[in-house]
Amino acid sequence: MANGVSMLDNMQTNGVRLPVALARSFVTVSLSTLLLLAVCAFYAPSSVSWGALSGSLPFAAIIAIVGLGQLLVVQQGGVDLSLPGAVSLAVVVATHYPQQQNELLWQAVLVAAGFAVAAGLLNGVLVSIFKLNAIIATIGTNALLYSGVFAVSGGVPSITTPLLADIAGGTTAGLPHSVYFATALMLLVAFVLKKTVIGRRFEAIGASPLAGRAAGLRVRLHQVMAYVLAQLLYCVAGILIAGITREPTAFQGDSLLLPSVAVVVLGGTSLLGGRGFPVSTVVAAFFLNQLSQFALAVGVPFSAQTIIQALALGFGIGVYSIRWRIGSGK
Amino acid sequence: MKHSTLAKGMALSVAALAMSVGFGSVAKAEVPSWCGPKKATLALLDGYGGNSWRQVTTASGKQTIELCPSITKYEYADGQGDTQKSISDIKSMAAKGIDALVVFGDAGPAVLPAITSAFKAGKVVVPYRVNVGGKEGVNYSKFIGSSFENDGETWGKWIKTNLPKGGNILFLSGPAGNSQGIDELKGMKKVLGKEYVFVNPEPFGVTNWDPALTQKVLTAEIAKNAKIDVIVSDFGPSLVGALPQFTKQGKSIPALATSDGNSLGCFWQENHASNPDFKLFTVATGNDNVRLAVEWAVALATGGEKPKEEIFKAPAFEDSVSGSPKSVQCRKDLPGAIYLSSELPAEAQAKAVGQ
Repeated sequence: MANGVSMLDNMQTNGVRLPVALARSFVTVSLSTLLLLAVCAFYAPSSVSWGALSGSLPFAAIIAIVGLGQLLVVQQGGVDLSLPGAVSLAVVVATHYPQQQNELLWQAVLVAAGFAVAAGLLNGVLVSIFKLNAIIATIGTNALLYSGVFAVSGGVPSITTPLLADIAGGTTAGLPHSVYFATALMLLVAFVLKKTVIGRRFEAIGASPLAGRAAGLRVRLHQVMAYVLAQLLYCVAGILIAGITREPTAFQGDSLLLPSVAVVVLGGTSLLGGRGFPVSTVVAAFFLNQLSQFALAVGVPFSAQTIIQALALGFGIGVYSIRWRIGSGK
Repeated sequence: MKHSTLAKGMALSVAALAMSVGFGSVAKAEVPSWCGPKKATLALLDGYGGNSWRQVTTASGKQTIELCPSITKYEYADGQGDTQKSISDIKSMAAKGIDALVVFGDAGPAVLPAITSAFKAGKVVVPYRVNVGGKEGVNYSKFIGSSFENDGETWGKWIKTNLPKGGNILFLSGPAGNSQGIDELKGMKKVLGKEYVFVNPEPFGVTNWDPALTQKVLTAEIAKNAKIDVIVSDFGPSLVGALPQFTKQGKSIPALATSDGNSLGCFWQENHASNPDFKLFTVATGNDNVRLAVEWAVALATGGEKPKEEIFKAPAFEDSVSGSPKSVQCRKDLPGAIYLSSELPAEAQAKAVGQ
């Protein structure tokens, strides 16, 4: 990971190279993914069968969406550890509040979004106005969100509403709906970041808040916005999980924190902030998910599954940095 | 997620308090033989109380305690999955002068020193279900285990009856290396010969009892194995969301040997007609393990008659093929997260899980 960070650090200071770097981050993660698919097809063909792919794609979509949220925060030089609480809270609000009644679902979604905005504002204000360390502030918010999870659910799972199961768990043209959600959100994030004034300002502030302030940009507002939008993305992910799993637990967000950071790094975004790569992040989510499917399909003991995942992740990042050195040598 | 335990904990204690307040009195029957004449106080100590299974179990324990009028005071503490808190719970209950402690020692041998010191201070200490190590009469008064091997044997026998020529078995359990899953496998292997092939990685498919992970694991296994004749899982309800993967991949849901849950029973009733191979067999999920532990603790503390059983064996519960001991049960009007095999009435369970 250190390689990835230092590489991107260099990249930010070198404005001329940026368009090339975008292509490089995307090409690298895509090539790694293609390589992984080839390995899958050779060693564990069942993991690339349509049945396995369509069954696991919803989970890739979830990782992609939380990854996009984490990306926004990382771009501002922060990290959001309140993700588990945020996702879990959205899950329990979307399942416990409607109690399997379709007509209450929309209210539940609004309530979940309300919590998300509040949590995002809290994170944003603590980090950007009160200048608390992002790790400390978001851990606190996470604890607060988890108390909300218990207040809503008592820790007990509830069965999802049929409508949400259709919306989040259904398929159209053979593809799970969650994949459409992830694609749409990726396009939205990519468009806003890369093609709008507000997005360009957002990246500039992430790269250097001081320069941003000197240029007269509203640094704090943009930083707070990163946390709020991230929470809204986690909220979408949580609601989708509530539809994909029939009886989600109250702790469904716990297993998503690490993947969310991993896909941001694999996607080529520096943990120090600045430029973000939403498309690469989503491809990395697919990579990470396919990796775990591969490990499962190989049928080795659990310990070996974990090792395979770790090695492949290291390989993914390794490939990245080697390519960079070749590029920078020219 | 260490950082979230405090908040989880605070909310949990509120939930536990609400539950104990909300739980009304249960009709008093005549005094059971294990309830002696000596007055005593009793505490139920949970290592982790935050799911519906635990809430039903706690309510069952409380109901059992209420059968004995000699118990003058009952207390409950939830360790919230925190070993330190579990240890201090045990110590503070003993220090408060509670006579009998019934302990769900989730943290295993880590709580043994606390249990031992309470026992040495003259308390009746009955750990149950999770093995905490130590010896009876030295570290605690009595350990009431649950025979997971027995569950495995029961499943094995059913598989043998319904698939006499052998077949492919997919066995799913919780976290990697959990002793429950290993014991169950031992039980199954006692009964099943070489004609039965376990298609999962040794010793079992790891699901952490998490419905999302179960869904991923099952997806991979279905794609990998052209033929799965029977799935064995020690937590049936977490499978419910994953089973439609078979239908999605154009296959029938296979036979299923597992533990019971209301959501699972209802799922079977809705889907067995369209899935010809979907037979269901369940053992009781074991909420009543706590009853035996409480009976022992009360008997020892009040001078009552000791129960005959020393280990909890979960009885078979539903069998969709023979209808014996019961056909598949479903209460659509009640939450999915209750267990109809439990002695605690379904309505009382619904109340205990707060829905």
